[in-house]
Amino acid sequence: MPLLLRFAMTILATATLSACATTATVGSHVDPDLDLSRFRTFDWGPADALPTEDARLARNPAFKDRVQGAVEKGLAARGFQLIARGDTADLLIHYHANISQRINVNHADRAYVYCSQADCPPDLVEYEAGTLVLDVVDARTNKLVWRGWARTSVDGMLRKPDVMAKTINETVARILLRLPPKL
Amino acid sequence: MHPSRFRLAALVALALPITGCASTEVRSYVARGIDLREHRTYNWARDDARATGDPRLDNNRFFQERVQSAVDEQLGQRGFQKTDAPDLIVRYHAGVTQVIDSRRTENSGDCHECEPEVYDQGTLVIDLVDAHTDTLVWRGWAKGSIDGVIDNQQFMEQRIDEAVARIMRELPPRSAREAKRNRTAA
Repeated sequence: MPLLLRFAMTILATATLSACATTATVGSHVDPDLDLSRFRTFDWGPADALPTEDARLARNPAFKDRVQGAVEKGLAARGFQLIARGDTADLLIHYHANISQRINVNHADRAYVYCSQADCPPDLVEYEAGTLVLDVVDARTNKLVWRGWARTSVDGMLRKPDVMAKTINETVARILLRLPPKL
Repeated sequence: MHPSRFRLAALVALALPITGCASTEVRSYVARGIDLREHRTYNWARDDARATGDPRLDNNRFFQERVQSAVDEQLGQRGFQKTDAPDLIVRYHAGVTQVIDSRRTENSGDCHECEPEVYDQGTLVIDLVDAHTDTLVWRGWAKGSIDGVIDNQQFMEQRIDEAVARIMRELPPRSAREAKRNRTAA
């Protein structure tokens, strides 16, 4: 069992390590009774009470514009209509973006590099993980009906607007892919 | 990443917490001089959502409702009734933090084998508070690796149910029959 566990851990660590450079990890939770075909329109709603936001993202207008643009585009492609100002929407959307310090184990490197203790590559690599959480709320009941998210390393992204823009577009598209189909 | 490789990674990520499950640690405190048999009714504390340390779980109704329904079920099985004028107030708190476990592999002096492990540790704390005196009478908690768990809703729900069941098994037995059942379950 310990061997199997270690094997699994190694693969997992390698998978996350390689995933860091390229792809985000995405996930979602859904109300099992959600029928998206009942909803036609959406609007941006107020964020919830615990916004664990990072100022580098929350106070960055370019980030906000890019996320909102990507979400609006993605929802439009799924047949949802952004409501005109002043009208009441069926769905309220909000998101929060968080950055946390995380650590990865460098299993992959150590397995293939011979080293004495002095010149070994570091076991633990610190990086900044960004998490983008997108909430879909039923405007009538004010209940969360779907939440999707993505987490990826944002190292080197915060000072590179073009990389950031590309990552946001790809990531939001992947999050929205997890929306349940309209029945 | 290639789709099939991604699927393999996802599968491994899924399998991992199952094996890790055995290492979930469950403990409890009980206040001195408290006889929980005197308490028969309970209800939930008014919404006291706190930050969990993981943005995926903050204000996550799917998580919150699953914890509450699992606790409701366990307390119901133990003869507690949910009422509007309860003896006990139930509160819970969940937290996620990344931990580094620097354990060495067995009997190995070669430092190529010394690999620290890093994982997301989830903690679920359940508190029972005396509604009349507003004092904590019992606290139970579970702590273990939850790598890959939150990203998969079904899996998360399963882990919540297991953790809550194990935490509530720590409650002092209310009858000889229950004491026996707890012993066989453990």
